[in-house]
Amino acid sequence: MTVLRPSGSQRREATSTGRERGSAVRTTRSAISLSYVVLLVGVAIALVPFLYVVSTSMKETTSLFSYPPDWIPSPIYWGNFESLFADHPFVRWTLNTLFVAGTVTGLKLWFDSMAGYALAKMEFSGKRGVALLFLLSVAIPISALIIPLFFVVRYLGLLNTYWALILPPLANPLGIFMARSFIVHIPEDLESSARLDGASEFTIYRKIVLPLIRPGLVVLGMFTFMLQYTSFIWPLIAVQDSERQVIAVGISGLHSAFLQDWGLLSAAMLLAAIPITVVFLLIQKAFVINDLSGALKE
Amino acid sequence: MTDIDTGPHGTQLTLSSGEHQRLRERYRRRTTLTAYAFLGPNLLAFVVFLLIPVVWLFVSTFRTGGVLEPAQFVEFDNWRDTFSDPLVRTSIRNTVVYSAMAIPSVFVIAMALALALQAIPRGGAPIRVALYLPTLQPAVVAAFIFTFVLHPDFGVINYAIRGLGGHPVNFLGDTSIALPTIAGIEVWRGTGFWAMVFLAGLVSLPRELYDAAELDGAGAIRRFIRLTLPLLRPTFYFAVIFATIVNLQLFDSVFALTDGGPVNSTISAALYIYRSLFLFGDIGFGATLSFLLVVTVLVLTGLQTFLLRERR
Repeated sequence: MTVLRPSGSQRREATSTGRERGSAVRTTRSAISLSYVVLLVGVAIALVPFLYVVSTSMKETTSLFSYPPDWIPSPIYWGNFESLFADHPFVRWTLNTLFVAGTVTGLKLWFDSMAGYALAKMEFSGKRGVALLFLLSVAIPISALIIPLFFVVRYLGLLNTYWALILPPLANPLGIFMARSFIVHIPEDLESSARLDGASEFTIYRKIVLPLIRPGLVVLGMFTFMLQYTSFIWPLIAVQDSERQVIAVGISGLHSAFLQDWGLLSAAMLLAAIPITVVFLLIQKAFVINDLSGALKE
Repeated sequence: MTDIDTGPHGTQLTLSSGEHQRLRERYRRRTTLTAYAFLGPNLLAFVVFLLIPVVWLFVSTFRTGGVLEPAQFVEFDNWRDTFSDPLVRTSIRNTVVYSAMAIPSVFVIAMALALALQAIPRGGAPIRVALYLPTLQPAVVAAFIFTFVLHPDFGVINYAIRGLGGHPVNFLGDTSIALPTIAGIEVWRGTGFWAMVFLAGLVSLPRELYDAAELDGAGAIRRFIRLTLPLLRPTFYFAVIFATIVNLQLFDSVFALTDGGPVNSTISAALYIYRSLFLFGDIGFGATLSFLLVVTVLVLTGLQTFLLRERR
């Protein structure tokens, strides 16, 4: 084959000359346009169903069944939103969800970063055993545990309380391993010198480790929050009282109780999407992929 | 690996070996205590909400007794009931078939989107947000959205099908398409998440290898197969295991959309477990089915670990 001289930076700019058999050039040019097409289709498929929800939420139930389906509601009808606030504890569901998901996320980040630190940086008897136990339990599906969890939580007298929603998710071990993977890459010199200065393990964890793994923790936090925000089967079982219910279960209840009211359901789904989207947008910058890989490398 | 920690710092010359041994022991005991203090909250949650439930589950497979009357040991009755119930087999088969449809599809689509995201020079941020929106929705919300979209009478998909002269499809009412439809809805919801995971893997790959491959005249497809796929093995390993665990728990969308129907064509293991507790109150049966689900997940993820970790 033709031997190419390693022309380094020139390769990129060789767009018009195409001296290198064109392969790099061709893929770059057409690949970019193809990529935009693929992404455009992807974005359309991701977003169009939401337009349906927006449109339906502003229609009166009777006009939903028009054929052909019309996208723009006329006149715009706000009754679904009014009914959602007046007749259903929708605000409570939202606040419950935010409170539970936020508390779980905060506790999980704290506990997992501590456990991750122990597994990444400390030598102790039983370490391999503990790590193996956590690792095995990653593979235990929570839906297979709903029956025993129900009885454990009932035994503790926590059914129908926020504790029932907050405590069991803390046993999910996945975050420990993510936190460990952030911490394991912190250069040892940093801790060693702090240790020589007489810092306790907890001080090292708080003053050195936590600030360094912040970007990773933001990603882990978003992930935990999202899992909690979308969790369904456990809240469905653990809480019967509608006032204490989370948003996903509340919406599902709207569906079974008012089977025909698509407008009301759409209004609820639209509003339910807002808080988590706002949270996501707020930390989107931190969620940027480069930061994630940076956190994993550093 | 990090044995350096345990060595005392520069004083070992003056210590006798016995003294050294003793100090070493003491140091080790202290770090062990500290380590367990750090692990404490997680271990506590682990014991109460995972270990005890799993043990309870195993014991319950040999017991009978509903929610009200006291439990009684019945040896293998539950196991016999579970294995002779055709619906158990159906529910586990549905769950596995659903996963086998959903996981490869979502991975291929997400990988295509991740590659596209990596290739484009600008506009990535808003596209990522848009792709991620479905992932932020609870599964029941995604399910309800698609009841509109797929509705046989007024859904937009069937409107399009009619417009093209086809017969309207009853996506959720037809025994042979209901499960693939549910898989499709979950693919819609999961694509954004996996695209981000794959993109994170892609951008962390060493640039130099690609430059070298390009110099050697390797085309894009060749580079993808020979470089990207093998280099992404750790990402795939995480992805396959995690997706398996999540998808084998199929419940939310089935509960919201079909409740197992039509004719049990979409009943999942988790839905049947839920029913055994809340509909017919047979704890022994439900526990046995739950135990089967745990074993299924452990066997499958173990197998995947073996397959993906070998050949290195």
